[in-house]
Amino acid sequence: MRTLALLSTEGEGFNPPGAEDFELPPLFTIAGFEVTKVTLLVFLSVVLIGAFFYLAARRGALVPGRLQFAGEGAYSFVRNQLGRDVIGSEDFKKFVPFLVTLFFFILVNNVFGIVPFLQFPTMSHIGYPAALAAISFFVYNTVGIRRHGFVNYFKAAMFPPGVPKPVYVILSPIELMTILFTRPLTLAMRLFANMFAGHLLLLVFILGGEYMLHSGGFAAILSPFAFGFGIVLTFFELLVQVLQAYIFTLLSSLYIAGALAEEH
Amino acid sequence: MVRVPMDQQPSSRPPAGPGDAYVIIAYLLSGMVVWGGAGWLLDHWLDTGFFTVIGLVIGAAASVYLVYVRYGRQ
Amino acid sequence: MTGTLNVVGYGLSAIGPGIGVGLIFAAYINGTARQPEARGILQPIAFLGFALAEALALFGLVLAFIL
Repeated sequence: MRTLALLSTEGEGFNPPGAEDFELPPLFTIAGFEVTKVTLLVFLSVVLIGAFFYLAARRGALVPGRLQFAGEGAYSFVRNQLGRDVIGSEDFKKFVPFLVTLFFFILVNNVFGIVPFLQFPTMSHIGYPAALAAISFFVYNTVGIRRHGFVNYFKAAMFPPGVPKPVYVILSPIELMTILFTRPLTLAMRLFANMFAGHLLLLVFILGGEYMLHSGGFAAILSPFAFGFGIVLTFFELLVQVLQAYIFTLLSSLYIAGALAEEH
Repeated sequence: MVRVPMDQQPSSRPPAGPGDAYVIIAYLLSGMVVWGGAGWLLDHWLDTGFFTVIGLVIGAAASVYLVYVRYGRQ
Repeated sequence: MTGTLNVVGYGLSAIGPGIGVGLIFAAYINGTARQPEARGILQPIAFLGFALAEALALFGLVLAFIL
């Protein structure tokens, strides 16, 4: 829709993409809820992930076929690297479903940003990372409170050992704020900002290249460089998307490990 | 299972990795926000102008010390 | 071109901490590559140096927002 608008305006300057390009119009309405492309993408990601793991685990053969091998590899990566190595081999099994779901949900939704015809990273709407960060916050705090008791959990977090007594007055509010606010806030903001900025970058280069192509003359000769750099950025975006999914899950796992261990 | 009080449990620190960098940034940010905010509140009540910056500096120094306590010791 | 000078100032001031963090972790990688057993000893020093350098960058960010 945007490119048609660019083609139809003659002599108007380039309209740089901004935050309004992230508001997608509703496609249809179900029971008073407006369903946009973003909602459909999230549902599609859930169906894809569920179908992949179901089909991979269905046969359960001792010598795995290709799909089962891929599914086992993907699952073991999160289970071993992000679960066992971070949380420790005694308690990590309870959290593996949460971590696997988190990692693949974020990964598939991020990669939707560069898949043709879909091309919108759903995590660039602040609501989705905020909900995931809220779930993470709930999990690591509940685990810590259940393991150590309410008072002991906060006491261990707020008073690290080996610090002279008067300095505790300055340090404890910082620790409290970190554990209650900054951790979920930075989790959500990191994912959201990376996806938002990446999508905006791609928009700038592709739409700018198209504008240059249609404005003729010198700019039209230079426009392949804009498109070429857009392609380079697409690959860079893939790296960032995978990395952000990994970092989100790694930090969730780290916070759970910290709440369980509460070392002195 | 015997419940050992927390100061006598062996210190089982999770292995350091790339995630620690983000935790350190979170510590620094919250230190500045907490004490910068306290300084700003003090400014708001006493109608002065300099407590915010003092609070920010104290918060930054305190959070660097906190990172040293948590991550900088063997 | 609209915007504030704050963010331009923050962008310029983030050059220093960026180079500093790069130098710190380059030294950490070099030290671990020469002697892998030194990894546990160098790691706390690397994190402490990272915190000190990053504090300046975050300082600039916070000041760009509030001033």
